[in-house]
Amino acid sequence: MSNRTFPYQIHISSQGKLLVEADRFDIPRHQITFLFGESGIGKSIISKAIYGLLDPQELDVVVNGIPYEGYLKTRHVVDMQADGFFVFQEPSSHLNPLMKLQDQLREGTLAQARTEPDILSQLWETTRGTGIKELLRVYPQPHRPSGGEKQRFLLAMAFKKIELYIIHASPSEQTMFVFDEPTGSLDNVTRNLFLAFLFNQFRRRPFTTLLITHDYSMISEVFKFHTDLVDSIVFKELTLNKNRLQLNEFSPESYLKWIKTNQDTPSSHKARKSRRSPKDILLRLESGISVFGRRLILSRYARSKNVSPLIIRRHQIVYLNAPSGVGKTTLAKLIMGLMRGQDFDMHLGEIHLTDATPTQFWQQLWGRKMGMVFQHADEALNLNARVKDIFAGLPYPEHITSDYVHRMLEEHFPLEVDYSFLNRPIKYLSGGQKQRLNLLRTLSLDTELLILDEPLNGLDFVSIKKMIDLLLTKQEEGKGILLISHNEEIFDSLGTADRVYLRAEGE
Amino acid sequence: MITRQIQTFVARLYRQKDKLWLSIWTAGIVTLWIWNRIFLNNPAFEQIQSAFIHTCLIAVLVIAFCCILGWGAAIGLYVLERSQKKGSALALSFLLNVIRSIPQIIGVLVGYVFITMMLRQEVLQSELLVMILMAIVTSLFVFPELADLIRERIDHYHTLDFVNAMLCCGISEHRIIHVEILWKNSLVHIINKLIAIFGIAIFLQCSVDFIISVGLSTNVSPVNLPITLGSMLARIDSKQDILAIGYTLTHLTYLPNLFFQHLQGLTTALLIVFTLLSIYHIANGFAKRYGVLKG
Repeated sequence: MSNRTFPYQIHISSQGKLLVEADRFDIPRHQITFLFGESGIGKSIISKAIYGLLDPQELDVVVNGIPYEGYLKTRHVVDMQADGFFVFQEPSSHLNPLMKLQDQLREGTLAQARTEPDILSQLWETTRGTGIKELLRVYPQPHRPSGGEKQRFLLAMAFKKIELYIIHASPSEQTMFVFDEPTGSLDNVTRNLFLAFLFNQFRRRPFTTLLITHDYSMISEVFKFHTDLVDSIVFKELTLNKNRLQLNEFSPESYLKWIKTNQDTPSSHKARKSRRSPKDILLRLESGISVFGRRLILSRYARSKNVSPLIIRRHQIVYLNAPSGVGKTTLAKLIMGLMRGQDFDMHLGEIHLTDATPTQFWQQLWGRKMGMVFQHADEALNLNARVKDIFAGLPYPEHITSDYVHRMLEEHFPLEVDYSFLNRPIKYLSGGQKQRLNLLRTLSLDTELLILDEPLNGLDFVSIKKMIDLLLTKQEEGKGILLISHNEEIFDSLGTADRVYLRAEGE
Repeated sequence: MITRQIQTFVARLYRQKDKLWLSIWTAGIVTLWIWNRIFLNNPAFEQIQSAFIHTCLIAVLVIAFCCILGWGAAIGLYVLERSQKKGSALALSFLLNVIRSIPQIIGVLVGYVFITMMLRQEVLQSELLVMILMAIVTSLFVFPELADLIRERIDHYHTLDFVNAMLCCGISEHRIIHVEILWKNSLVHIINKLIAIFGIAIFLQCSVDFIISVGLSTNVSPVNLPITLGSMLARIDSKQDILAIGYTLTHLTYLPNLFFQHLQGLTTALLIVFTLLSIYHIANGFAKRYGVLKG
């Protein structure tokens, strides 16, 4: 092992079939490495292989030329597991359902860390753990803490191990902390709390950290509030090139510059102009729909008591803002007519739609007047279909030809669209590739209204840029777009996106 | 080189239990055919051959009718429920539940009684027509299993964003159900069910034919029904052959005679048991190979 980095060469296969191969995967010591990359290309499996978490009976793994069973016995892995911590992407898989959360938080060496109340108050933004005492006494099942709460408990465990590392007289050089999508279930405020706490601990004593994420806006957070650590933070991106993973340096400046240049686009002028013309209203949805015993209230300003309808005009992007769980996706489904709510009153251009409108009528609008992209590509796509089948059966008007669709595919899958790609079953694509197909299926249509639920989920930076360009083109063409996304920074930077706030009453 | 290829082939066959058991079944049937061709008298051999072909043909017809009835019932119920025709949906659902509530063997038995009566009144003349009717009767009491599977598959995809996401893109509901759900995502489940139905059809047929042939009442005669494995088994000489197995248990030296003098009954029994066992393993192996149980 080098003094400055942990260099890895990893080969993972199953029953003779290559799953992942990375020739050079270096993790700098005593630095924080942000690892970006498209979802599903192998970031998690690589990090688990390094951390010794894969099953040698199930997979054929070779790390640095050492067969996995031998690698697991090396001092590097033994020390790394003893003194470090691995925060799993899916917190439910880590927590013991039959053990109280407070017991899990004090299990094994975790009990030695005496800063638990401080850690909890940092992550919950409360004073010395008040407000979470009840939560500590519950079992993960059947009480079911929310995804965000479970994720914070895992982070709290990691911070306890970090505390032990910091106060140790001579901690092991092999120690490494891995955070696999640690903020996937957190809102932006909690995410920033976590980052700030992580950086503060790092300032006390630097430790080796690998932070896997799709959230590029963390870069802005670093460059806005933690500039003193810029030299200790490394940004890398994992890309897939002909079935081989490549770890490249990622330039944070490229992201920051892109965000800055998004501010003023030609479409923004058109959008502003269109607001003057009432005939350009594509959608008008009245506030106050009752669904699941709650009333969904829309307003134009945050924390405003004034109610206003949701209006989307031609050339307009509207960004729907609400905390998690309020019902953003529910509202999108109500607009699409997939769910019914009382007091539903909507105009789609000249068409008046209410909760009494029959489903058959809505069906005539789908794919022709309005389209929606669902947030989970794995559910929204037919995984047993082939790539070319995704565009079959869509109600394309005459001017949308198969050549147009093919060009769109080539634009978003550069150097990939060939016979083999078009015939590949969707289930064998990476998460990011699936998400791109999920988006392209709807964006290839000629609908006036587009609803996009978490459109940037699992995309890498190149794909995000291309998708934003495509959305801006759609905006330029006169489409109205309703966005639901946690990537606030990116959509805020567009400048043309208007905000509408959603809240629920009567819970 | 050839040895290695054979080893690879055998290893692959051993892993894929459905193909392994299909091979075992085919090899067993061929071996039995050759043995009987040599050692069984010609009239008995031809009757067993006809009985086996008839039984398999009826089972294949049962599969075909089940596909039509199962698909019709499942899609019909789905369409009625979606179009808010609650009365019609309830009526169809009630009818399906009534069919489910009747034990399959009783239902098929009653159907066969009617067929036999029609034969006595000379309404039915053609043997093929009789076999088609026998298959229809069996499928009437088996198809709800396939209908339930189709409904489950459709309902499962409705719980995901799968259906809504496609509907929102303007893809027709007909295409989503038939192409995206049933063809691309449920074909292995349906094939697995049809393999099981093939086995159920043989089992029901043999049971009912046996019961009728033994004698249900003086008014019902199996005399004009096409010969099947069940009716072959019910014949007095077949029964004597089976009894010979019991005799062998206490007179071991009699064992070689079973393979030469009692072939009719033993072959019939072996064909039924061996076929059902093989189908059981084929269905299980198929389900495992295609991950049917994982959904």
